[in-house]
Amino acid sequence: MKTIKILLGFVFVLGLASCTSDFVEINKNPNAITSDEASAKYFITNPQYKLYAPDRYPYWRAHLINVDRYAGHFCFGFSGCWWNDGLSYVPNTGYTDAAWDWMEGYFSGINNFMGLTEEGADFENPLMYAAGQIIKGLYYQMFTDIFGMIPFSEAGNPDITQPAFDSQNDIYQGIIALLDQAMATIGDNTTTGDGVNDLGENDVWCGGDLQQWKRMANTLKLRIALRAYGAPNATWATGAINQALAADLLDSDVLMEKDAIISQWSAACYGDVWHNFGGTGSKWTVGKTLIDYLRDNSDPRLEKYAQVAEGGQFSFTRPKEADDVDGYTNFWKRVDFIFASLADADDGSNDITLVNQGDTLATITVPEEKYYIGQPTRLNGKIYGLVKWEFFSKPAEIVTQQKNIGQPIFPEIILTAAESYFLQAEAKVLGFGSGSENQLYQDGITAAMALWGTAPTAEFQASPMWTLTGTDAEKLEQISVQRWLSLYTDGFEAWSVVRKSGYPSILADGITDADIFAVGEAGLDNDYPQRMHYGNAPQSNNLDNYNAAVAAQGPDHQGTMLWWAKTAK
Amino acid sequence: MKKNLFLVLVLSIAFIGSVIAQERTITGTVTSADDGTTLPGVNVVVQGTSIGTVTNMDGKYSINVPADAEALEFSFVGMMNKTVPIGSSSVIDVALESGFEAMDEVVVTALGISREKKALGYAITEVGGEELATVKETNVINSLAGRVAGVVLTQSPSGPGGGTRVVIRGNNSITGNNQPLYVVDGIPMDNSGFGSANGTGTANYRRDDYGTGVSDLNPDDIESMTVLKGPNAAALYGARAANGVILITTKKGRSTKGMGVTYTHSSTFETPLLLPEYQNQYGQGTRGYYYDGSPSFELSDLLNSGGSWGGKFDGQDYLYWTGETRPYKAQPDNVKDFFRTGSNMVNTIAFDGGTANSSLRFSYTNDVAKSILPNAGLKRHNFNVRGTTNLTDKLSVDAKVTYFVQESENRPFHGTEGLMAYLYDIPRNLDINDLKDYQNPDYSVRTYTSGTNGNPYWIVNHDVNNDTRNRLLGFAKVNYAITDWLSAFVRIGTDFASQKIETIQQYGHHYYPTGQFNFRNYQTSETNTDFLLMFDKEITSDFKITGNFGGNMMYQTYEQMGVNGRDFKIPTKPTTDSARELNPSYTPLQEKRINSLYGSASLSYGNFIYLDVSGRNDWSSTLPEDNWSYFYPSVSLSALLHEFIDPGANFMNFLKIRGSWAKVGSDTGPYQLDIAYDMQQDGYLGLTTLTRPAIKLNPDLKPEQTASLEFGLEARFLDNRLFVDFSYYNIKTTDLIMDVPVSASTGYSNFRENVGEVENKGVEIMIGGTPYSAGDFSWDISANFSTNKNTLNDLIEGLDRYTFSTTNAGNVDVRATVGAGYGDIWGTTWMKNDAGQLVVNADGIPQVDATKKKLGNYQPDWVGGITNNFRYKTLSLNILLDARIGGQVYSGTDAGLDASGVTKRTLKYREEGVIVDGVVNTGTDESPVWTPNTEQITGQEYWGAYSGIVENYVYDQTNVMLRELSLTYQLPSNLFNNVFIESVSLSLVGRNLAFLYKDKDVVNFDPTTSYSTSNYAQGVVFYTLPTTRSYGITLNVKF
Repeated sequence: MKTIKILLGFVFVLGLASCTSDFVEINKNPNAITSDEASAKYFITNPQYKLYAPDRYPYWRAHLINVDRYAGHFCFGFSGCWWNDGLSYVPNTGYTDAAWDWMEGYFSGINNFMGLTEEGADFENPLMYAAGQIIKGLYYQMFTDIFGMIPFSEAGNPDITQPAFDSQNDIYQGIIALLDQAMATIGDNTTTGDGVNDLGENDVWCGGDLQQWKRMANTLKLRIALRAYGAPNATWATGAINQALAADLLDSDVLMEKDAIISQWSAACYGDVWHNFGGTGSKWTVGKTLIDYLRDNSDPRLEKYAQVAEGGQFSFTRPKEADDVDGYTNFWKRVDFIFASLADADDGSNDITLVNQGDTLATITVPEEKYYIGQPTRLNGKIYGLVKWEFFSKPAEIVTQQKNIGQPIFPEIILTAAESYFLQAEAKVLGFGSGSENQLYQDGITAAMALWGTAPTAEFQASPMWTLTGTDAEKLEQISVQRWLSLYTDGFEAWSVVRKSGYPSILADGITDADIFAVGEAGLDNDYPQRMHYGNAPQSNNLDNYNAAVAAQGPDHQGTMLWWAKTAK
Repeated sequence: MKKNLFLVLVLSIAFIGSVIAQERTITGTVTSADDGTTLPGVNVVVQGTSIGTVTNMDGKYSINVPADAEALEFSFVGMMNKTVPIGSSSVIDVALESGFEAMDEVVVTALGISREKKALGYAITEVGGEELATVKETNVINSLAGRVAGVVLTQSPSGPGGGTRVVIRGNNSITGNNQPLYVVDGIPMDNSGFGSANGTGTANYRRDDYGTGVSDLNPDDIESMTVLKGPNAAALYGARAANGVILITTKKGRSTKGMGVTYTHSSTFETPLLLPEYQNQYGQGTRGYYYDGSPSFELSDLLNSGGSWGGKFDGQDYLYWTGETRPYKAQPDNVKDFFRTGSNMVNTIAFDGGTANSSLRFSYTNDVAKSILPNAGLKRHNFNVRGTTNLTDKLSVDAKVTYFVQESENRPFHGTEGLMAYLYDIPRNLDINDLKDYQNPDYSVRTYTSGTNGNPYWIVNHDVNNDTRNRLLGFAKVNYAITDWLSAFVRIGTDFASQKIETIQQYGHHYYPTGQFNFRNYQTSETNTDFLLMFDKEITSDFKITGNFGGNMMYQTYEQMGVNGRDFKIPTKPTTDSARELNPSYTPLQEKRINSLYGSASLSYGNFIYLDVSGRNDWSSTLPEDNWSYFYPSVSLSALLHEFIDPGANFMNFLKIRGSWAKVGSDTGPYQLDIAYDMQQDGYLGLTTLTRPAIKLNPDLKPEQTASLEFGLEARFLDNRLFVDFSYYNIKTTDLIMDVPVSASTGYSNFRENVGEVENKGVEIMIGGTPYSAGDFSWDISANFSTNKNTLNDLIEGLDRYTFSTTNAGNVDVRATVGAGYGDIWGTTWMKNDAGQLVVNADGIPQVDATKKKLGNYQPDWVGGITNNFRYKTLSLNILLDARIGGQVYSGTDAGLDASGVTKRTLKYREEGVIVDGVVNTGTDESPVWTPNTEQITGQEYWGAYSGIVENYVYDQTNVMLRELSLTYQLPSNLFNNVFIESVSLSLVGRNLAFLYKDKDVVNFDPTTSYSTSNYAQGVVFYTLPTTRSYGITLNVKF
């Protein structure tokens, strides 16, 4: 009897063991959100801000450490900085990976948004899909302009785990096709729909205004076509430029307001790097080329972009030959170079001074809080000790503004009216479109100044910069320089302008004197960086296609010119 | 006062115990049957009790036995045990025969079933509690090092309470956990750990380690540990057996007439085993400069240079980082002086006792460990109660409760932003005492550079990294003997752990100037309910059958709650109210259930051939309905051949051959099937934002499959004085559940799939014996050796590698490559042209070739250990050596130290500079012109470039270590004839004593330490705490 009871007990346990009735229930994640709880508009914000304000890791490593410095806007390499300004002119796979991984990884968000809104999808909405195509266009242009060949035509296909790298020519034409489709879909529509179908405030670029999206798409088309213009096998560019000029282009800015509260690990600003570390290690100065153009032409943006240099008196002792042969030999050459750079800022008062006390001591004086002085780009580590932080202008506070203290931060530039006008002016100089090239150029400058809350002053209008003059080449130089100036804080585009146009030539020409400047990696040597190295990821998960791209494009180093730059200069 | 009361209590209980036990006295002499010499130190125990003694120097013993005592048991290492009935005699003389008792050794196997070892068709290794408790480790698993063939231990260097990675017979999974299942008294124990050392993170900046579950066990409570190597031995554990199982059996009380009291005390002290080899000729500065206060050589210039690249020490007065002027000279011990002597004090008191039908054991252990780091250490309390009772002839109950609480303070962070990074790199002329004042009046960190730099004293004295773990383990088991051949039990056991972790980087911290904190609370639990029906029947006198049938319900939960905050309103208040930015996180209860039914049968014929079969079916809640039920079979066969080959046992005493095949597998974690979107707590501009996860999930996931084939041979020769145990295995894992890395241009970072095949092939050999035994002296030796080849045979089409980790600098990664090894180290090399010449740039600086090359593999070619036991009378000496041959590791520590100019090797090129023997391309990429380099660079520039090249820092891990040494003296029992003390032994112990061999280039770090205990970030080391050497005493008193 007892035995039977026990056996019954076992049968009961056995029944429990094979019971799976609650399995599905307990394997459901209570935190997860399913499509019936969501709306497509919630998915557009991330792909928008992550392209321009990603988290601090790429914001520092891609934006600041690489492109803003290649662009000549910002400099490291003053005494007290963690790095000399040769940083990233020699490859650093860590920084390169951060840029590549951010750029390639970014695709997930926009791919998802388009997947959710495409025909037959959970949130089918052709107008939202069109907005997605335009974001995708901006993304691929930024991505390819950093590295060159990248996966494009086979991207986003779940059956292809190793997408091929496409040529830049194909990618550019592919982007134009995306933009053309998007503009055709948008037509005369003004919103993507009503209620939850309206992108509305979740669209942090255009606030749901589809016509603004359409103008942005057309302006982007013009930018891309002009960049391709003149490149090998880019005959299609002529047609695209003409089409773009015939349709509406941006006449107001597309900007993205900065979130001044959000965690830096979601979306960063320059201030997250500037203020989150003590001392001057993580900080930077404004480049000499930028300051010189602004100051020499009485540009009212000077005080908007930068702060006057702190100034002060600093003495330098020549090292003993026994301690430092190079420092001993080149001491005066470097002192003279630094002094000459500073003296460029002198307004004629001759109060930036160098006093040589014998052979071993030099004293440089810069008046306190008086001059805007830019730091020469790409200084090497040997001159580091002479490059005083106090000598040079820092970016304006609105650029490096700290979060969480109730102060506004300068917005992210997506695409501006200024650029729209400069592109039209450039097209006109190249023989496209109608209208006055000078008027377009001046409209561009006016719009660029308006972005910073200022306007062309009489002094500025008196400068040679205000009027487009000279040969076509000289006009293109003027337009390129102004476009480059207007792209302050958008290093990606500014760097592209230098690479395509060859202006400002002081940057594009590279460097010559290895005693002063950082020569860079073997393969780049003294030249201007033309691209970034690919990240490690494609060598790990897409090796064959990576190898094919390197074979087609040229060695995977910074000296390899991109397709559209090959006609430059 | 409290302490005294406790002692009085203990002593009086012990006294009562000993009074009750005294009934009659038996005396006698124990001799060796071989040569008639007397044997000192022989254990003499009254059968079925804990009453015992040892023989004295003359082999004589005297023991008080209860009136109803039936027999005495005599045991001595290297001799066969002997049991002698007492009868009415008062003098019992015994002659022991030499040889091993192991022939009929009974071992614990899967599901806790005791089996005769000779009948098993697979390899298992048992380690006794004595071996674990003599030289105590705060993580008891570390004591397996060198003792078990086929096991590779990688110890976290975090100091007391750190985790250890245990891999048995190689890695089977790529992304999954490769560590064994731990089962304590039949109840699986959660071995997960918190902190990045256990995670998949690969960052080399900062890693923490809060230990894992198994480090909570108290070595003094362990009766034995059995290692079930791989699926063959562990098949009955089904989905959890793929990586082998470590079965831990804890002590029970003995059925004795009185009460036994055991007190053990162990004190060990520890010091760093190995610190970097420093130079003592150059101090803080750059380019060989002296900072005399003249322009360009002022304080600010000094502070801009944190490295030791200044001028050569000349003892003259120069600026010092504090602003004072001081003689410029070396501080050779500035790093060493930061450390203190660590200590570990363990006190265990155990009471046990019982009647013929019941037993009870209670133990309490108190462990106070002080790290070698100032202000760091842990405190533990471990309470354990175990009771067994026979309620009727047929019904018995066994139950246990263990409560464990551990408080740790200031566990160090490792990595390039860890504590050692701010200590090891300090300039060679810096007096460490000057850093003790770690804070400036504005709350910021006070340090020797103007750059962002931590102060080690700030980190240990001001920042916080504390954790508290509470753990309750227990079970109750009811046994019922239905008939004499059929019995059954039902058991329920649970393991509940909660861990609270508080980390604070105080206001003014070098990286978080406005402060940040992270408070987390984790709760995990696992409850198992199981039953087993056991059948044991002799069909004929030659043919026996035993069988088991059982079932198990496993229920696991996980919960987490935490909050992190930044930017303190009041600098001295790192509280939630003070933080301007707060981010809470909460993981609601996650559940996982596995239901199982299993059975096994063993058939034996004539006590020489044994056949085992087993089967288990699991149902896992984490898999899709179509795949959640899966079946795992195993079969093994063994035969004892010695009676056929050498029936007279003239030479061979024992020969067994065995073979087995088993299939097991593993499932996945909760919520891995359904595609769901993530919502951001802080959406951009406060908007509601959603994203899609970066991993493409697979709703049709299947369990991983591991099939293992094993053959083995065991033999004993020469009157059991020599034994050999050999195993060969081949383990293949297929359908790996893996997040396959794909090009991010697919829209995902990874696709979760069942892919690939990982294979482990290996050989394990144990060999040992008694080379010498005569009179008072004997020497036993046992050596084990194992080699494992771990290969990745297949991944998915077109993908030939899986990268475990890439460092932040991106210059080194650790991979599994198809057709090649698991754990290959790839890194950058010097750039060379086609002619093999070193390429330099126009400045004469050697260049890095960013295309990585394979530079090594972190898995050893073979590991082994040798245990020696020398015994002279009551003195015994144990020496454990362990060896690791082959395998490489990248030392980011060395690279960082060289870049800072603090190591001895950076003395090269300091004064004279160097023209690197290389070429510079004066042509173009397409048509290079290689011109010999003529540019001279400084030592500082050379080492700056050198330290960035990975190939320069991949070191051989080969080493032989004197792992353990213990000298134990058993006090003569006649000392205690008239007191209640039964026996006393005293041991001098040492651990990690010295490298007997290591590669000559490995001078700055311990080649066996690892940066993490997970699959990720193996094979690389960045600024870990130094390994420690420990030495001390263990006192064992039985009352």
